[in-house]
Amino acid sequence: MNLHWSTMGTEASLSMDAADDELAARVAAVLARADARFSLYRDDSELSRIAHGELDLVDASVPMREAYERAITWRSLTGHAFTPHRPDGVLDLSGIVKATAMEDAADVLDDATGEWLLGVGGDLLWAAGMRPRLGVVDPTDRDRLLATIRPSAGRRALATSGSAERGDHIWRRHDVPAPVFTQATVAADDIVTADVLATAIIAGGEATLDSVTEWFDVDVLTVGCSGELRATPGMRAAVADARDVQAPGMLPPGSART
Amino acid sequence: MRTRAILGSALAAFTVLGVGYEVGQAATAVDATSATGATDATSATGSSGSSSGSTTNSDQTSSSSSGSSGSSGSSGSTGSSSSTGTTSSSSGYADGTYTGSSVSTRFGNVQVQVTISGGQITDVAALQLTDHDGRSVQISNRAAPILREEVLSAQSASVQMVGGATYTSQAYLSSLQSALDQAS
Repeated sequence: MNLHWSTMGTEASLSMDAADDELAARVAAVLARADARFSLYRDDSELSRIAHGELDLVDASVPMREAYERAITWRSLTGHAFTPHRPDGVLDLSGIVKATAMEDAADVLDDATGEWLLGVGGDLLWAAGMRPRLGVVDPTDRDRLLATIRPSAGRRALATSGSAERGDHIWRRHDVPAPVFTQATVAADDIVTADVLATAIIAGGEATLDSVTEWFDVDVLTVGCSGELRATPGMRAAVADARDVQAPGMLPPGSART
Repeated sequence: MRTRAILGSALAAFTVLGVGYEVGQAATAVDATSATGATDATSATGSSGSSSGSTTNSDQTSSSSSGSSGSSGSSGSTGSSSSTGTTSSSSGYADGTYTGSSVSTRFGNVQVQVTISGGQITDVAALQLTDHDGRSVQISNRAAPILREEVLSAQSASVQMVGGATYTSQAYLSSLQSALDQAS
C-alpha cells in the first residue's frame, strides 16, 4: 500500500508490501512525536522553549540531550561543516531530528513488514536487502528528474540537501563565501549519515565534498551552481544499475505517467 | 576513545620524528588500512589525523609496553608478516625488504612492500591493490564530473520514490513525489 501525509513541516510517503493501516498509523505517530518535541515552528515544542530561554538544555529531556549530543558529534566529524546552531545562536536540531525519527520509524516497520520505503521531506529510507529504483529531483525544475539511481546492496538511505535560493535551512560556514553546490545527494547505509553529510556538503562546499568522499563510505551526486554534476564511483554504478533494471517494483500498474 | 586517539596521535608524531617521515607514512599506510577494514566507516573517519592516531593505537594494543618514541618505531614491523631482513631493536630499521600483511578494505585487498636501505625507506610498492573481482583498482572515492545525460535513465513513472531537497509542503506539492503519490 502507498500512503502520503503531512508531518514535520513537510511531506511523508510510505510504500510497503503490507496493507496495514494500523502500522501506517504507528509510523505516523513516531514522526509526529519527534515533530512535537523538536519543531521550532511550534511555539510549544520543547526545542522552542529552549530557544526562548524558558528551558535549559541541561534540564531538557533525554531524547533532546541525545539529539544534541549526536549533532555535536557530527559537527566534529564534518569539521564543523554540519552544525546544530543557527548563526543567531539558536539551537536548531532539525538537521538531525528528521533522520533520527525516520530511524525510529524504520524500527517499527522492520518489526512488522518485509519490504517498505519511507520518504520524509525528500529523504528516503528503505528496508534492508531492498534495492529500490529512485529518482532524484532536478533542483532547477522540480517537476523533472535529475537522475535515476539504484543504490548498491547494503545502502539503505538516500538524502538530498539543497542550498540558499530555495529558502534553505542550511547555515553555511563563514569561511565559505558563496554556495558551490545547489544540491547534494548522498547514499549511505543509514539515514543519519546520509542526511548529515548531504547537509555538510552544501554548507562546506568543495573541501567538505572531498573530505566526505574520502572518509565516509558513501555515494555522492552534486549539482553545481551552473548545473554541472559530479558523482563518486559508487554513484556512477548506482546510475548504471538503474539503467539496467527496468522493473518498477512497488508502484501499482496503471500508475504510469509520461 | 578520545584519549586513546590523542595518545595515538602523539605517538605517531614521535614515530615520524624518530624514524623519518617516510617510515611514518609507510606505517600509517599499512595500519590505517587495517583500521578501516576493522571498523565501520563512521568510526574510521574522524580525520586524516585520527587515522594516523589509530595507527599507533593498534601498535599499542599489540605491544602494550610501547610508550617511548623508540619502541613506537616498531610500528613499521607491525605490518610485516614476512620479511627478508632482520628487525632492529631501537634505532631505525635494518636493511631489507618487508612485506606487509594483506589487508582487506572496502576498496579491495591492499598489500605493501617496503624496501629499506641504509636505515631509510628507499621504495614502497603496492603488491596487491585489487577489487573483489581481482581487478586492480584506484583507491579513490572522489566525486568526478559526470554528464547530465548520463544520470537520467528513466521517467518518473518507473521509479519507486523520488528524493530531493523538500522544504515546505508547498514546494512538495509541485514535486514529482506528489505526482507519484497521487498516481498510486
